[in-house]
Amino acid sequence: MIDRSPDSRNDDENTRAPRIGVYVCHCGGNISDVVDVDRVVQAASRLEHVVVARQAPAMCSQAGQDLVTQDLLSEKVDRVVVAACTPGLHEHTFRKAIARASHNPYLYEHVNIREQVSWCSKSDPDGATEKAVRLVAAGVAKARLATPLSTIPVNTRQHVTVVGGGIAGLRAASDLARAGLQVTLLEKSPFLGGRLNQWDRVYPGGERAGNLLRTLLQEVTNHPNIEVHTRTAIVEATGCVGDFHLVVQCEPRGVEETLSSSAADAAIEACLVRKPSEHDFGLSQRKAIYRLPGRSWPAVPAIDWENCERCGDCAKAAGVESIALDASPKRISIHSGAIVLATGHELYEPASGEFGYADHPEVITLAQLERLLDPAGPTGGSLSQNGRPIRNVCLIHCVGSRQIEGLHQPGPDGRLHEYCSRVCCTAALRAAVDLRRRFPETRVFELYQDIRTYGRDHEQFYDDATRERVVFVRYTADQPPIVSTSTQNDGSRLSVTVRDTLTFGEELEIPADLVVLVTGMVPRENNTLIEQLKLSRSADGFLQEVHPKLRPVELAVGGVFVAGTCQAPMNIAESCSSGSAAASKAAALLSRGHIDLDPFRARVDTDRCRGKGKCVEACQFQKAITLVETGNDGETSRHAEVNSALCAGCGMCVAVCPHQAIQVDGWHLAQFDAMVDALVADYC
Amino acid sequence: MNNVADKVDALVIGGGIAGLQAAIDLANQGFQVLIVEKEASIGGKMIGLSKVFPTLDCCSCICTPRMAEAEHHPKIKILTYAEVRHVDRQQEEFFVDILKKPRYVDEDKCTGCRLCEYACNTEVPHEFEGNLGVRRAIYVPFGNAFPQVALLDVENCLLCGACEKACPSDAIDFLQEPEEMRVRADAIIIATGYEMLPAGFKQEYGGGHLKNVLTALQTERLLAPHGPYGRVLRPSDGKEPDSIAFVQCAGSRDRSAGVAYCSRVCCMYAIKQAMLLSGSLPLTDLTIYYMDIRAFGKGFEQFYQNAKAMGIEFVKAKVARIREDENQNAVLRIERIEEDGAVEERTHDMAVLSLGLVPAWDPREADLAAPASDGFVCSIASHLAPSRTPEEGVFVAGAAAGPKDIPDSVVEAGAAAMEAAAYLRSLRSTPSANRSPRAHQQEQPALTAKEASP
Repeated sequence: MIDRSPDSRNDDENTRAPRIGVYVCHCGGNISDVVDVDRVVQAASRLEHVVVARQAPAMCSQAGQDLVTQDLLSEKVDRVVVAACTPGLHEHTFRKAIARASHNPYLYEHVNIREQVSWCSKSDPDGATEKAVRLVAAGVAKARLATPLSTIPVNTRQHVTVVGGGIAGLRAASDLARAGLQVTLLEKSPFLGGRLNQWDRVYPGGERAGNLLRTLLQEVTNHPNIEVHTRTAIVEATGCVGDFHLVVQCEPRGVEETLSSSAADAAIEACLVRKPSEHDFGLSQRKAIYRLPGRSWPAVPAIDWENCERCGDCAKAAGVESIALDASPKRISIHSGAIVLATGHELYEPASGEFGYADHPEVITLAQLERLLDPAGPTGGSLSQNGRPIRNVCLIHCVGSRQIEGLHQPGPDGRLHEYCSRVCCTAALRAAVDLRRRFPETRVFELYQDIRTYGRDHEQFYDDATRERVVFVRYTADQPPIVSTSTQNDGSRLSVTVRDTLTFGEELEIPADLVVLVTGMVPRENNTLIEQLKLSRSADGFLQEVHPKLRPVELAVGGVFVAGTCQAPMNIAESCSSGSAAASKAAALLSRGHIDLDPFRARVDTDRCRGKGKCVEACQFQKAITLVETGNDGETSRHAEVNSALCAGCGMCVAVCPHQAIQVDGWHLAQFDAMVDALVADYC
Repeated sequence: MNNVADKVDALVIGGGIAGLQAAIDLANQGFQVLIVEKEASIGGKMIGLSKVFPTLDCCSCICTPRMAEAEHHPKIKILTYAEVRHVDRQQEEFFVDILKKPRYVDEDKCTGCRLCEYACNTEVPHEFEGNLGVRRAIYVPFGNAFPQVALLDVENCLLCGACEKACPSDAIDFLQEPEEMRVRADAIIIATGYEMLPAGFKQEYGGGHLKNVLTALQTERLLAPHGPYGRVLRPSDGKEPDSIAFVQCAGSRDRSAGVAYCSRVCCMYAIKQAMLLSGSLPLTDLTIYYMDIRAFGKGFEQFYQNAKAMGIEFVKAKVARIREDENQNAVLRIERIEEDGAVEERTHDMAVLSLGLVPAWDPREADLAAPASDGFVCSIASHLAPSRTPEEGVFVAGAAAGPKDIPDSVVEAGAAAMEAAAYLRSLRSTPSANRSPRAHQQEQPALTAKEASP
């Protein structure tokens, strides 16, 4: 590695003045139609230490790059300034060209005179040209003080931790394992499968969710590269891309994997505790020792420690020593090169009284309706209310979605859910069609704002619902439907009053035996992970990707990827695609065994540092700066030390240091001073 | 064979955003990729857009980095102005016949200096600008095209030789011939994207003959930083339009146009265009005639609400007919879908058709598996692995599998790359005798008759 401190450069380099080459790009007219490139080149050639100033129609073309490499190879220049488009586009191009000419790629400055000059100053060519001259002068001033730097190689562990065992996490884990990586899959609950465990049939094809899940579970649980832990919570997350360290608390299951199915049944039967079942959204009850009906993985039950009374009846009934009520949690430690977060979503829980929710037992959510329609659900797929068949079902869309400030109140999490939840329209229409076909006597009303059947084969459900004579009523956000006890003597307990904009704004009173609130997805809190890994949320509370188009499955922290509904509402196919895309990025990241980090890292001048620790306080990245004590002739002194792998080069530390004892390589304060001087100098 | 490797791990058909992303993701996992693009530049539809919803980033600024990344990637080769003609499978290998169309310009010699373009005196409507601007008969496709290599449009060339004289690098070659080449690949990703319905698809909307009725892609160019007029003007008389209408579902959710599905992106691009127009023409009235506003993606609904707050008018109505008045204004006959359900005529200076998206390519043209009934490439595991097609080793990414916005295309491209990578790894690790080729694994056991009936 090249030593970057200025005093260690050899004498020859120290004594020779910098030889700067400036290259100005026309960008095929994008720049030269506005900026007078000749004038910029002339002005640049007059700057101190500039030995050549050239121009080209397209610097990024081979011919343009050759101008640079030839000047470097002939040792005419030793550092380069290119004035062209945004560095995001071609900085890398020129660094690579410089490296090809056997020079240090960091003796390079890229000046943006397209986005920052010609594109935004079309109407003022003179002003644009002057601005370009000043920006080029600032670039030259910075390049003059540049020192050679080298990338920081970090070895990457060939292991990925996937957090979340729902469909997106399973997809990602399977793909990563198929790519030859070791995978640890962490699931919070006692069972893998996430939300898919709770659905019967899924749109658009009507496949059974259980079959889809079984396919993926087989891939994951049979793969030798994948280690699965259920009932986990991440308590500590440190490290950086290539080498994360996670400490995970695993709650005991309480039940040995070897417990036979019949013994498990006996144990569950024996338990006297009754709790509302999460699986059935409270529509049924479960015991304190429980498993998912039908298709749970693992198949053995788990004990709900919060509600278990430790009576031991289950263990007695099972008749074997496979149930241990005194097991204690254990902690495991995981080292991973990358992390995929697939922590899923919560379903919006309507507030008490919102559209009659919790006031009337006839008001349920779409998720609850899905459970009622499931032949393996709490009612065996039959639909009735107090023993009577249900004749009128009224579905109200956008409950807890598309909320508008002023019209809606923030929920308990303090958030207004302004976004559309994407999956609910098609899910509601699928349920409506299912209802009409299975219970032809039942009338179905859909109270909606916009029908958003956007996906492939989704529009079919809108057509089918219309054909099945589902009645569509359109309400507006400022005049939502009102659910109340029916005053009509028509046998229905509830009535829904709504102003229908499709029929002259007529006020309708719809009898309802069942009111279904079509609720959407809301973000999970995930506070430990978010705090420990310094992740950011978008305004809607979901995890925030780096860029929705350029880097849609990457989070701002290098090596952390996002999959599925922890990023935004999405359906099964979209969650799987997102899981695969995240796996693809993680596999690519780890494929070379090491990664090269940019060398723009903080560096401490130990002579100046007094060990005050202001930089440590200001630093946003855990353990990137620490205070260390060094002994010298019996005296100890404290100073800051930077871990280059963890430092992001953000410069927060530079701003707070009272002694200017910490600087970012490639961005020294002296360079900033020189740039400012150059920007305001007189060039006329 | 024109410096194309004759054997690659994966062939990506289409160099739009999905194809580029899939290629980059495969190459970053160590696989050798060849991209075949039928146009003269990569970048696809995205590179022609102005700004993108819902963030309003400049499209050049986010598309060109991907183009540059693919271009500079040591494991990616790009063939532009070339078409896949035939795919022949022999055991586990695809033999792909590619036709490289003649540019009449030597790609290795051309520096993109455009002196030929400046020398050419023939003006032709510029397809990239939605035919609103002109180009020369020899031209670099557009400002940030890759490769920056000129292309001679032989249909319109007068063979005057002016370009040949102007070219400093002797790159013009009037005698260039189409070049046939055969490439072997182990996997194929179809990323051939979409086309918009032609403006003339519906006689009721003027059949493409009304001057001030634009397509959405033409409007993108009007709004682009280097658009044909440099500002927003209506084509018939160069007047700044005082009122602009957007006609939603123009050829989507419309059985009469043969497109029963929702094209998924039109609501958002219309809202975006209306927003951008209100920026460049603050006094112009903007009206969006729609059936449902489908603002379903991350940040989309908030974008829609902002548009409403900005004063853009949303009218739930179906546009039945568009005609021209004596001033070439667009007169829209609409039926309101709400309130009084009135049928009325509303006059706008300009109208934009939010045209539906249809597949750009039928894989049968290259003897690959037939598309699904909607015309887009068929997916056999539409939940668990949407990129798997019925044919083993062939995957699909982006709008080739149905209309899709950019974020969804990019994510699915990553997923397609992952599927293709897993397939390639399985080829490498399993002796071919033990494999049962030809059909991708379905995502679940076939439904029994009882299960299949709802």
